[in-house]
Amino acid sequence: MSRPGFVLEVDDRTPPLLVHEGLGFRMEDFLLGTRVVYPPEPIGGVPDVEGAIREALLHPVECEPLPELLKAGMRLTIAFDDVSLTLPTMRAPDIRQRIIEQVLTMAADAGVDDVALISANAFHRRLTPKELEHIVGERVFRSFYGQGLLTNHDAEDHDNLTFLGKTEKDEHVVTNKRAAESDLLVYVNVTLVSMEGGHKSVGVGLSSYRSLRHHHNNETMVNSRSFMDHKNSELHASAWRMGRLIGEHVKVFQIETSVDNNVFPKPYNFLMKREWEWSIRDQASMLGVRRGLAVAPQRMRHKIFHDLRAPYGMTGINAGAVEPVHELTIAKVHEQQLVEVQGQTDVLVLGVPYLGPYNVNSSMNPVLATCMGLGYYFNSYRGQPVVRRGGAVILYHPLDEGFNQLHHPSYVDFYEEVLAESTDPAVVGQKYEAQFAEDPWYIHLYRTSHAYHGVHPFYMWYWAAHAMDHVDDVIWVGGNRRAAARMGFRSASTLLDALEMASDTVGPSPSITYLHNPPHLIADVR
Amino acid sequence: MAGRSVVRGGVDDVRQAARGFRWGRRSQVPRSAEEWVPEARSTVFRSDWARRRPAIVAREVVQKAGLEPVFRSQVRTTVRGLDVLDGLTGPVIFAANHASHLDTPLVLLSLPDEWRRRTAVAAAADYFFDTWWRAVGSSVLFNTFPIDRRGGTMSATPGEVLDDGWSLLIFPEGTRSQDGWMGTFRMGAAMLAHAHDVPVVPVAHRGTFAAMPRGRNWPAPGRRRLTIRFGQPLRPGPGESVRDFAARVKAAIAALLDEDGTTWWEARRRLASSTTRDPGGPDVAPWRRLWEQTAPIDDGGPDRVRAWRRSHD
Repeated sequence: MSRPGFVLEVDDRTPPLLVHEGLGFRMEDFLLGTRVVYPPEPIGGVPDVEGAIREALLHPVECEPLPELLKAGMRLTIAFDDVSLTLPTMRAPDIRQRIIEQVLTMAADAGVDDVALISANAFHRRLTPKELEHIVGERVFRSFYGQGLLTNHDAEDHDNLTFLGKTEKDEHVVTNKRAAESDLLVYVNVTLVSMEGGHKSVGVGLSSYRSLRHHHNNETMVNSRSFMDHKNSELHASAWRMGRLIGEHVKVFQIETSVDNNVFPKPYNFLMKREWEWSIRDQASMLGVRRGLAVAPQRMRHKIFHDLRAPYGMTGINAGAVEPVHELTIAKVHEQQLVEVQGQTDVLVLGVPYLGPYNVNSSMNPVLATCMGLGYYFNSYRGQPVVRRGGAVILYHPLDEGFNQLHHPSYVDFYEEVLAESTDPAVVGQKYEAQFAEDPWYIHLYRTSHAYHGVHPFYMWYWAAHAMDHVDDVIWVGGNRRAAARMGFRSASTLLDALEMASDTVGPSPSITYLHNPPHLIADVR
Repeated sequence: MAGRSVVRGGVDDVRQAARGFRWGRRSQVPRSAEEWVPEARSTVFRSDWARRRPAIVAREVVQKAGLEPVFRSQVRTTVRGLDVLDGLTGPVIFAANHASHLDTPLVLLSLPDEWRRRTAVAAAADYFFDTWWRAVGSSVLFNTFPIDRRGGTMSATPGEVLDDGWSLLIFPEGTRSQDGWMGTFRMGAAMLAHAHDVPVVPVAHRGTFAAMPRGRNWPAPGRRRLTIRFGQPLRPGPGESVRDFAARVKAAIAALLDEDGTTWWEARRRLASSTTRDPGGPDVAPWRRLWEQTAPIDDGGPDRVRAWRRSHD
């Protein structure tokens, strides 16, 4: 029986608490009275995953069973979430593999010949063959990749994009041509956080800049309260309008899954235990890992963390019509991640870990660290932000990983040139976004190499726009001073120093709340 | 330089962990997390090996060469009433009030050697038998055996130990007192006496709370005085229920506590008139209850007349 999440109040009995900071972690002695929000324990996966998948495909929500939709001579496209999910990468076999195998088995039984699989990576980097194989499994990879039927979506291949029309808010809807011209589009999703899934799957994953610019911008993100709550998110409202329009042109059979909080395998599972329940072995592991990381070169630390494979359990699977399916999925995600928090705080403390959606097998550069902290973690709320308007956010990350030239070439220019001029998301968007979006070199790298699209760093900056608009002070504990300053933030050596620095904003005795994640949590702030 | 900072970082980590995780002491749960503490594991380590010859020999060495010298270097004891054991041959149940981890060594080291060697101590399974090293340590040192404080399946074990001819030391309160005063009695000791037809020897002691209350893992400095007093063995009367017998045991311990603070005669008279002082303490402010329990014990001195003389230090 898993225990729900709860809010700890630090007292004299509280041991030092674990805080992630990039390729490492520290044990922090929080001030007495600090609130610490702990995520619920893993609720456990369904015992018979194959059976649950079969059940979902045969008894979908507000839709015909999948076998009834599969006919000989039809055109079937299977799109799936890319390598940005799950985090960390799921231990093989990936859920998507197990689902796609069952879908293909049914398709084969129905005599469907024309099948293509597309990784819905939008402006994310193209997945390597190895990454594709990890997601779809060896059998599917061998059957389709060599024939060019297992591909990455190319948002700059205009010959293979289809303009479907405009929404009632004049938003252009463009999607993958193969998907648009299919008799059936099956989308296989993993909803790791409540931002994912729903109409965002097809509407964003298979689109292009012409569509993305309508919701991936500063104004939309500032008005998404939060983008983890799709019913109060401008981003999702736009994606929903687009998704409904797509649904008028192509039949979408949405398959959504949710996973539990089991993110760290042994012997690193102490990272997700409550510290006062650490056994001697957990404490020894903590000391050993910390010492090991202290002496290991950066490359090795990177390998240690990025080689972790999460033993996730699949908590639920639903298939059928997009919207009712998504409601069921979100309910399951909330069951795993929602924690009730009473009232806002003056200072929000966040530990930014080694991994985010955009640095899988890559580096967490300062822009991505900001996106992770001020974007994903700050927005992990329902109701109202955990920190009050005008408060302060203290983040932990060394901001020292540098930029991966293969994956993030435009980030370097964004950091060195754009942020040097302005850190205001609205200003940088207005002045520079189009230039980066249309830069032929970035487009070339995106299409032929493994680079994120040229405009992607702007999106990361917009992801943090709501937080930047909401709080008055952002301080990085242990962060590289130059990097923090470049992004318009400050850096401190210790938590006490950071609080001292923040006292100008929040006073000398602020209320402090620390979100103890990962595993992921959503603060339901009352 | 880098090597030195790594070493220094390691030392700092160990220091922080030792302090924060209370190495050498029992870990604590933050108050706001107590609601979410998982139920104790049902896995309990066996202890029957602790009553076999090799363990008995090892215990004798550990108790006489280690425990007793250390114990006596930290506290002074006054033991009275041991003559009650003179007429007894078989196993008995020693039922004592419980205020400190000092209680067990105090009772055991106060007993004559032949009784001490044949006495096993009932210890909470969820506290002393939750890890192998704690189970081994407490079994070797004190001859403990596990009892389930929640009344689970292990309650059968004390009977087996009794049947094997071992006397038992049981603290009927089930847990250490929060403020030194006696708490509610559970009926385990009375039930065992009833079921196995063995006498209960009431034992009352004072001073252990002041010397080493909850939260301390070593006696307070100053060699504080502890007193312990053994009472007349009690047997369940014909037709007497377990509940009534348990109440009688509690009353006997209360009378012994009263006697320890005053005289045998005064205590007897109060017992006869049912005016023995409530061992649960007065209904006053918490600080006053603690204040009284932490006051130094007046051990009488050589000129004080005692109604019951037999004693040894």
